[in-house]
Amino acid sequence: MLRKEQNDQLTQTGPGTPMGDMFRCYWIPALLAAELPANDCPPVRVKLLSERLIAFRDTNGRHGLMDEFCAHRGVSLWFGRNEECGLRCPYHGWKYDVTGQCIDVPSEPTESGFSQKIKLKSYPLVERGGVLWAYMGPADRQPALPEWEFATVPASQSYMSKRLQEANWLQAMEGGIDSSHVSWLHRGDLNSDPLFKGAKGNQYNLSDARPVFEVVESPGGLYIGARRNAEEGKYYWRITQYVMPSFTMIAPRGTHTVHGHFWIPIDDEQCWAWSFDYRPDRELTAAEVSAMRDGKGIHVKVDGSYRPLANKDNDYLIDRVAQKLGKTFSGVEGIGMQDASLQESMGPIVDRTRENLVSTDNGIIMARHRLLRAVKAFREKGALPPGIDVAHQRVRSAAIVLPADQPFTEGAKDALVVQAAVAHASV
Amino acid sequence: MSSAAEARFRLQAPNSRPRAITVIGLDAGGAEAVRRLAAGGWSHATFFTVAAPGQLERLDGSTIGLDEQVRAADLAVMVTSAEGRSQAAAEIGRVCSDRRVNTTTLIVGAIDASDEMLSRTLAQVRPWSLMLVLAADEQYITDMMTALRA
Repeated sequence: MLRKEQNDQLTQTGPGTPMGDMFRCYWIPALLAAELPANDCPPVRVKLLSERLIAFRDTNGRHGLMDEFCAHRGVSLWFGRNEECGLRCPYHGWKYDVTGQCIDVPSEPTESGFSQKIKLKSYPLVERGGVLWAYMGPADRQPALPEWEFATVPASQSYMSKRLQEANWLQAMEGGIDSSHVSWLHRGDLNSDPLFKGAKGNQYNLSDARPVFEVVESPGGLYIGARRNAEEGKYYWRITQYVMPSFTMIAPRGTHTVHGHFWIPIDDEQCWAWSFDYRPDRELTAAEVSAMRDGKGIHVKVDGSYRPLANKDNDYLIDRVAQKLGKTFSGVEGIGMQDASLQESMGPIVDRTRENLVSTDNGIIMARHRLLRAVKAFREKGALPPGIDVAHQRVRSAAIVLPADQPFTEGAKDALVVQAAVAHASV
Repeated sequence: MSSAAEARFRLQAPNSRPRAITVIGLDAGGAEAVRRLAAGGWSHATFFTVAAPGQLERLDGSTIGLDEQVRAADLAVMVTSAEGRSQAAAEIGRVCSDRRVNTTTLIVGAIDASDEMLSRTLAQVRPWSLMLVLAADEQYITDMMTALRA
């Protein structure tokens, strides 16, 4: 459980809130690069950290992310005309460049310089790895560009999708580090999903249904190790990475692609679930990409606004027959929606004063502990939160067999950091 | 907290009864941590160090049988430093296993320990720990106990 004030602190990310200020220290995924596919293409509405913004790509290919509303009469610039290096409000023709600077007020004499007095709040927006990343913090604290491995490999080796999740970011993120739910909620998918099946490690999973967990602090967040009995005197480890505030990377399976998430607040009651898959050592196959587009693995089929086709309005297309037959444990199809359906069912912001955690929830308890500690250090001392240092981002998850008495942080030391063009440690 | 609209129709009746948590310091470092932790004033946790075989020592110096104490517990939390002196985990873990009581072990100061000492400690506690946490700071134990409603 958390006290109400702790729950509020962790779940509220609007401007001026402690957690919101901390989130604004990081580069966060804002849009898929494909959402702004060409120069002068239509602008896109973006809500991040409870701020309504507009993103556009100008005539010269520069990306802009700024206040959604025209400074004149408050019209949404989503209706704007993206032309000649700026976004023009269709109401009275006021025009803005990618920095939010007003560059034309047709009703005022050009010589008056009035337009120079008008500027919308704007944020840097840069493309990396098929994602447009936003930095919403103070300019003098802007960190180095993100170096997550999936975003630095060639485009042919990586796939990214996003979906709307109608729940606070924290309960979605906590699902990503809650290793103990996998044996229940996703048990039907291990042997059937094309992006999971066939790995030798799956046999360890199936032959030892009661994993034991170890939670270890890492420089950027946490390692969450789930161990199962392997051959005599050895353990099979699945090590998940959590990097603050909201990055998770799931342990790989065999030669499959490696996947993980970002959980980015839209406002306090919705978040974007970003899902990546990649291989550092090879291109993705056509079959893998096809499966990802088809909503397999951790990906989900969505509509044009990235809302899942299975959603709370249609009860997530729950199939009670499939549930009864054990084809899916919850009756909801697909790993991503199995998670999302349950997390959304908790309510927009779950009341953590009423929860009853158990010892297998230590990964979640530790993540909250580290987040609260980092927020406090940031507010009181201006301490740089973990996860900003690019060294914290050059990490990997791992699946590995180790001697029984070996700390996994020692035995998997090399496997837990990026090694260029080398495959993940996987079983 | 959830929006007023969302929370409006949620039942507010209690949904659990308190769990009894037994906290045991396995070695000297663990015992010190347990003593500091006990000063926090907990409602549903009792604190011990290891005494003679089959015995636990309360912080006031009195003793109780290990089996008797474990029988009354819903969860056993073992606290140890990473000095390879956590042999008591085996006896406690065996009793907990017999009594079907879950065990969580916290290793404090693991970050500063040598790999050899940490390995030795892990070999002692891993077979008897259903959850193992290597925390950088002792404050984590307090936060965990709070999270578990101790």
